[in-house]
Amino acid sequence: MTSRLLVAPTPSSVLPGDAAVEFDLDGPARAEIEPAGPGTVIVRARPTDDPAANPLGAAPIRGVFAPPRRSAGRVVTVEVVVDGWRFELVVEDAARARLRRRATRVPDATGASGPTEIRAIIPGRVAAIHVVAGDVVEAGQSLLVVEAMKMQNELRTSHPGTVERVVVGEGETIDNGDLLVVLR
Amino acid sequence: MTWVVPASLRKDRGGARPFARVLVANRGEIAVRILRACRELAIETVAVYSDADADAAHVQMADRAVRLGPAPATESYLRADAIVAAALQTGAQAIHPGYGFLAERASFARATEDAGLVFIGPSSATIATLGDKVAARRSAAGAGVPILPGTLEPFDVDAPAAVEAIRVAAEQIGYPLLVKAAAGGGGRGMRRVEQPKELAAALAAGAAEARAAFGDGAVYIEREIHPARHIEVQLLGDGAGTIVALGERDCSLQRRHQKLVEEAPAPLLGEEQRLGLHEMAVRAARAVGLVNAATAEFLFDRDRRFWFLEINTRLQVEHGVTELVAGVDIVREQLWLAAGYPLADRVIAAAERASRPTRHAIEVRLSAEDPAREFAPTPGTIDRWELPSGPGIRVDTAAGPGTTVVADYDPLIAKLMVVDETRDAAIDRLSRALDETTITGIQTTLPFHRFIATDARFRAADLSIDWVDGTWAAIGHERRRAALVVAGEVAAAVVGRDLALDPPRATSAQSARPSARPEATGEGVPARRPRGSAIEPGPSAWSRVGRTAAVDRWPR
Repeated sequence: MTSRLLVAPTPSSVLPGDAAVEFDLDGPARAEIEPAGPGTVIVRARPTDDPAANPLGAAPIRGVFAPPRRSAGRVVTVEVVVDGWRFELVVEDAARARLRRRATRVPDATGASGPTEIRAIIPGRVAAIHVVAGDVVEAGQSLLVVEAMKMQNELRTSHPGTVERVVVGEGETIDNGDLLVVLR
Repeated sequence: MTWVVPASLRKDRGGARPFARVLVANRGEIAVRILRACRELAIETVAVYSDADADAAHVQMADRAVRLGPAPATESYLRADAIVAAALQTGAQAIHPGYGFLAERASFARATEDAGLVFIGPSSATIATLGDKVAARRSAAGAGVPILPGTLEPFDVDAPAAVEAIRVAAEQIGYPLLVKAAAGGGGRGMRRVEQPKELAAALAAGAAEARAAFGDGAVYIEREIHPARHIEVQLLGDGAGTIVALGERDCSLQRRHQKLVEEAPAPLLGEEQRLGLHEMAVRAARAVGLVNAATAEFLFDRDRRFWFLEINTRLQVEHGVTELVAGVDIVREQLWLAAGYPLADRVIAAAERASRPTRHAIEVRLSAEDPAREFAPTPGTIDRWELPSGPGIRVDTAAGPGTTVVADYDPLIAKLMVVDETRDAAIDRLSRALDETTITGIQTTLPFHRFIATDARFRAADLSIDWVDGTWAAIGHERRRAALVVAGEVAAAVVGRDLALDPPRATSAQSARPSARPEATGEGVPARRPRGSAIEPGPSAWSRVGRTAAVDRWPR
């Protein structure tokens, strides 16, 4: 039995600033969730003095979800849409999640970060590549351009580094989540 | 699929139909929209499609369909030769281009005309004149329509003398100003220049982008109006030279020159101002001999003056809001006009009423775009698809559950329109309609529209064309973050204790935590209010208690 769950957006759904949230199934509920038809619930925030606990206001809000998909290692992915925003969320046992993260993290006493993998956030075609391995890039610098739906979408790095590897080539078709560039 | 085309029993036009067979040279919702108009007039239809659209709604709906080629538009929907050949081969008499793709290519209109077919739209000569934005400005100015201060000749920025001439002209026009492509619109080739020292770089960048987009690097400069609303006038013209304005639309909610929300009529205009605007648009159209349907676009500044921008020689995406207010089917009229019929008396009567509108319509464009990531495209497969219905609702779409939105074409998946007696009522109806909307599988622009429908500034019609670009990012970020918290609650509840070892049935999701619910007896439901008591705003406690009771009483 699991009583603490960790919920976090998947890599294809996460945006900078998104945090994983821990839920204590035995603790006090922050919201009431009622079924309201197939794959649909009504979420009512519990009355509270803390406005942060009630971000969408006091009115009930509809949430819809797809059947959860269970992958290896007791990790469940579920698509949830609230207020039109679509999230793919990973739900797992909080204790296991901590163990798994510790196991996969590269031990590094200095605290310096390892390589950063930059992945596709939209499917499309690589229209242009602006960097090669060895290039030093600054935060905000354009790495490549992905063409999708008749628009050119520039992919910029959010932090500085050195290009270790460019994984894709010009003209290549890419999918959501595909590895594009590795920075260190 | 072949439907039996019924003989028309219409009594107007003596039971005639404008054409026996029409080819629709487009895809998506607009192809479906045009096919519907054809079916209502008992016209046989031919669709064209790319490999990506072999099973698409417009292919299913047409009587016949002709494959054009692989998915990329340049190998399918932009192949003018293949489309004209398909029309000839299937015996179509006319081609409707829709919007986008070849709709405003004078060469395509000319190829259609040269093949002995009817192009459903303005003549190729009119399209050519108005496609040259500088020529369009000259023509409007000649007709006495106010144009934005700027140059009336295109510049070739590769010539040093020309750059010097632009610099002199820019000093006279004043900064900030815009560099624009002479050969086309849509924001491509456009650059904003705040100071004289930025001019040379902006000219070079604008010209390069214009050359890439239109094959022509000629640019011109124009004063920037800020803040401004975008207001456009729907025009219809017949072969006898009668041109009418069916009313105006406000399309000020845009991001990077892509419209997101449109409404008709434009709010906060008086009858005199409407009449003046419609009359200006008709004058600009008459100067180029417009036939069929087109739209004159204007900017409306803080001093309540209109400035002519351009005339689009096509059916607009947002034509539906004008149809809902004017009571005229614009696509049907396009078909009659293309067949050489004069404007019908009831259309002329609708145009005469257009300065005194008695209804208000709003359209939101539901697109496969992520409003949290600068509206980046989000192609993918739609899973759940529940769209609103009921009084005053119109949905134009070619999508449904299981539809794959491909990256090759425009991300628009549905146009949701509402109509009501007043703007306030229309906004309330829009809000209700958006509450009834559920789309899963892909991210859409729904969160943006849900915000707009409840925003006080939108309700006050405090609109400007740069509002979204300047304001939305921070608001969207906040709203998405709040939604993520709620989504986390839902995910924890749905997955629950057993981590979906036994996947929960969709209908039996329960809160993971015990919650104190009122008994399902209906106790605690407040008695009906005595007559005459004031009604407080917002949801009452009844909706909460009553709903819980209902949920527990009804079988699941």
